[in-house]
Amino acid sequence: MSNAAPFSTRRPTDWATPAMQSRVRRRYRAERRFRLLGLAAVTLSGAFLLFLLGSMLLRGAGGFLETRVAMPIDFARASLDVDPRRLQGRAADLALAGAGLEGAVDDAAVAAFGPDLGGRILSDGAWLRVREAIKDDPSVLSRRVVMSLPVASPIDVAAKGPGSVEAEAVVASLRSGDLLSTGLNREFLLSADSTDPTRAGIWGALKGSILTMLVTLLLAFPIGLLAALYLEEYAPKNRWTDLIEVSINNLAAVPSIIFGLLGLALFLGTFGLPRSAPLVGGLTLALLTMPVIVIASRNAIKAVPPSIRDAALGVGASPIQVVFHHVLPLALPGILTGTIIGMARALGETAPLLMIGMRAFIAAPPDGITDPATVLPVQVFLWSDEVGRGFVEKTSAAIVVLLVFLLAMNALAIHLRNRFETRW
Amino acid sequence: MSNHPPKITATHVNVWYGAKKAIDDVSIDIDQDSVTALIGPSGCGKSTFLRTLNRMNDTVANARVQGDIRLDGEDIYSPDMDVVQLRARVGMVFQKPNPFPKSIYENVAYGPRIHGLASSRSELEGIVQTSLKRAGLWEEVKDRLSDSGTALSGGQQQRLCIARAIAVDPEVILMDEPCSALDPIATAKIEELIHALKGRYAIAIVTHNMQQAARVSQRTAFFHLGQLVEYGATTEIFTNPREERTRDYITGRYG
Amino acid sequence: MTGPALLLLLAGLAFVGWLSARARAVAFRAPKRRFSSLPGHHAWYVALWTILPPLAFLGVWSLVSPALVTDAVLATPAAAQLPPPGFERASILSEARELAQGDAFGAFQPLARALEPAYAAAQARYDWIATAVALLLALAGGGWAYTRVRPGFAARTRTERIVMGLLLAASLVAIMTTIGIVVSLIWEAGRFFARVPAADFLFGTHWSPQVIDPRDPGASLGALPLFWGTFFIGAVIAMAVALPFGLMSAIYLTQYATPRVRSWVKPMLEVLAGVPTVVYGYFAALTVAPYVRDFAVGIGVETASSESALVAGSVMGIMIIPFISSLADDALAAVPASMRDGSLAMGATPSETISRVLLPAALPGVVGGVLLAVSRAIGETMIVVMAASGVANLTLNPFESTTTVTRQIVDLLTGEAEFDSPKTLAAFALGLTLFVITFLLNMIALSVVRRYREAYE
Repeated sequence: MSNAAPFSTRRPTDWATPAMQSRVRRRYRAERRFRLLGLAAVTLSGAFLLFLLGSMLLRGAGGFLETRVAMPIDFARASLDVDPRRLQGRAADLALAGAGLEGAVDDAAVAAFGPDLGGRILSDGAWLRVREAIKDDPSVLSRRVVMSLPVASPIDVAAKGPGSVEAEAVVASLRSGDLLSTGLNREFLLSADSTDPTRAGIWGALKGSILTMLVTLLLAFPIGLLAALYLEEYAPKNRWTDLIEVSINNLAAVPSIIFGLLGLALFLGTFGLPRSAPLVGGLTLALLTMPVIVIASRNAIKAVPPSIRDAALGVGASPIQVVFHHVLPLALPGILTGTIIGMARALGETAPLLMIGMRAFIAAPPDGITDPATVLPVQVFLWSDEVGRGFVEKTSAAIVVLLVFLLAMNALAIHLRNRFETRW
Repeated sequence: MSNHPPKITATHVNVWYGAKKAIDDVSIDIDQDSVTALIGPSGCGKSTFLRTLNRMNDTVANARVQGDIRLDGEDIYSPDMDVVQLRARVGMVFQKPNPFPKSIYENVAYGPRIHGLASSRSELEGIVQTSLKRAGLWEEVKDRLSDSGTALSGGQQQRLCIARAIAVDPEVILMDEPCSALDPIATAKIEELIHALKGRYAIAIVTHNMQQAARVSQRTAFFHLGQLVEYGATTEIFTNPREERTRDYITGRYG
Repeated sequence: MTGPALLLLLAGLAFVGWLSARARAVAFRAPKRRFSSLPGHHAWYVALWTILPPLAFLGVWSLVSPALVTDAVLATPAAAQLPPPGFERASILSEARELAQGDAFGAFQPLARALEPAYAAAQARYDWIATAVALLLALAGGGWAYTRVRPGFAARTRTERIVMGLLLAASLVAIMTTIGIVVSLIWEAGRFFARVPAADFLFGTHWSPQVIDPRDPGASLGALPLFWGTFFIGAVIAMAVALPFGLMSAIYLTQYATPRVRSWVKPMLEVLAGVPTVVYGYFAALTVAPYVRDFAVGIGVETASSESALVAGSVMGIMIIPFISSLADDALAAVPASMRDGSLAMGATPSETISRVLLPAALPGVVGGVLLAVSRAIGETMIVVMAASGVANLTLNPFESTTTVTRQIVDLLTGEAEFDSPKTLAAFALGLTLFVITFLLNMIALSVVRRYREAYE
């Protein structure tokens, strides 16, 4: 456009001039740079995801394992007050409860490792393993056996990686005697929170999450679905409908912590429901998830072609029959996909649950929706705050469990979407 | 001309979409035992008018209908009229074939089922079979009734939609450009079918194919800009139109 | 009666109603009468009338009854020894409730043991009332509906009207939630502002809720540093990270990537978006924070904190990348293909087309998306709770410690303070501020996006 000459006298562009050629080359270089910039952005995002998942996996892997030390126990010499005949069936726990087993295990540790190390080498939960072993095979009570028992947290940490100088020395000496072994930490998956990292497990939090999600699903799915059907199929276009739409769109973008404040003020303050309960957590998360489900469901319903509705109306189906016989079945895959994604979001939600007191230390898995409980992400948060170094790997391991659930849900949603997505 | 009283009488019908008037003071009778064709250029309101006859315009959010439309003397816009029953009595076939994404059998059985027209399984099967036979589709699909209706060819899909409409035993069938999405062979089959159905149902068909109107209908109404320009026996309209606009349209000056 | 048993019984009653209404309708149904309501419609009409009234009652009851039970317990003589309302009283009451329900076996507080019988009695009494009323409602509703089952009755229309009512009620839950949020925030915040002048709160620069002077609570509750920190972390640092990455990813994915690449990268971004914020927070605190602090000390920032704004903000930015990317993706996709073709047909390179034609055309959509992202970033809680500081600090230095509104809400509400101290109420005032700001941002963003979409439709 720099050429100011009149159009008629303008000469044809000579693309072969060096100036034009270098201009074209410069433009192509700019093109390549731009493209590389985009590729870099995508690659870096991907690299970050890999780094995040990788570091959690690496650090968390140790959380699923425990270090055990081989230790001889001479039951014959320990003064255990147990009647071997009562060690059958359900009476066994009772019989062993008052037998002084814990003391006997401590004595055996002192005998094996000396008074100093013996008092702090074993995990607090070691004697429970001994109890299980006795229940499995009562005949050990009459002889001397070598058992592999979980070690205390500082030694466990030192055995898996860098630990305190003192603990590393202990590990080195135990290793030289070939006394250490590594095994799957079953307690991590089967027990609830504990102050001792070697005994802390995620089952309590997992059960709390399951109960909470159950309440959320039972409330948010039907309400969200029905609301979406109403808004998309029946709602008259008026100010009330607009108000509902604005509410839903806004609720979907309200910070989750605000829902926590609502739960605190309404469910705990006004209605006096129990603190820390999955019921209240589920109610709060249901309010948070419902708008997500409504928006996803509306999109799925909108995607059903109007000709299907016309066809059904044309043979005399009522508006309700049109929706429940035709529209809903066709939109259901999309609705379920949206619901799963909403539930995945609720499963990872932490802040609102802190507000309603689900951050308490809960040492027993909840039995019902009104028992005090915690949930997986809150457990992650609680453990991340713990001072004990043994909790670092537990936190990462809990994150791995949480991510496994979330990825499974997302994969299911993506699968549903690809499998049932209909193009009209 | 028929000597029955008309099946549907529409008098002074006006339709608005929001502030826009789509139908301006139209009065037509639809006769029993004959085919009435509604013709006219695109956007002239013929489809809109057809959809007032079974109140399908109710589903359009801002549509407003004024005037008097009676089916066998019964006001179909009266508050006592149950739309569901009305639409079962006045069936409809749409421009684009729109079978349900279900089996052929389910497509036809759906109407009788929601209206409770069959008291047993075998009775329902009978209805499905008769409807498919009347729609001239039975021979082609009798071995694959459980196949999806959407897997049929376009012409077959449209005949399936006609079978679906017939299955609820309507008194009137409205057809909204039923052949516009079909090839000539499928079109010929549908026209044949319309001939065969004529004796049993009152039929109103919207078409912008004038040859088709001439071939299948006994009476023709010409719409232009939302108004009814001329209405009379098809032979009259096509050979000796009274109105200038009708003649121009039929001879292809515009449209 | 326990909850599940009662629900089962109600479902059973509804089923009985369904069966009997159906039988009655079948009996009077003339074989060829067309278009009367089908037996199934009559059956559903009766079933819905049987189950809905008691369910509605139980729904309300389950929210109200805990308070009723507590009131009944407080009215007993044993409750006279209870300490005044506060944390101790609440814990005694909850322990007594657990004892009464058989959830706990031992009591730490002797008073809880004393209150247990009163709790059990009140609980049993109210449970009995609830069961009786629910069954009565079921029988009355079902019975009344059953008497209406006769040949001319328009059961289908009636049933559908009930269903329509349910649909409407469901969609009203959204409005009720919004009202609930607004009312509860305004109510508690109102009590806060009755004690602390709003000007002190909004414009004060000193925030230290740990020590509140009862004579002048406003002096240590100035939230300006919090607002600044929130803005600094969420709108400045996080966006500086998220915007270039998100936008370039969207451009690359929509304009350059092959379908194969897209089919891998899109789910990857979805996974990134699906990672819970608590994980990002842990990552920020444990992995990112030490590096950033060491780096800052290395370049000579003496005041560098391991709870710096930079750590929280940049990790938050990474969290927002998929969000920006997907919104920018939508905005670019809404630009008509003809615009792009027009530019390419003149010999413009793809990058020239994107930066001079597509992006300007998509700008309103992108801006709307960024506003939504900012709203999301300033409402984000877990990252700042775990990686940002608890100390309010009005600073421009990204390496210094900074706190945010959401972090302070969590800190204020997780101590065991009584429910109506200025400290607790301040959390609601902060919550109200946060709600208002995010609400405005969302409204502006949604209307910008909507107007933009309409422009190209």
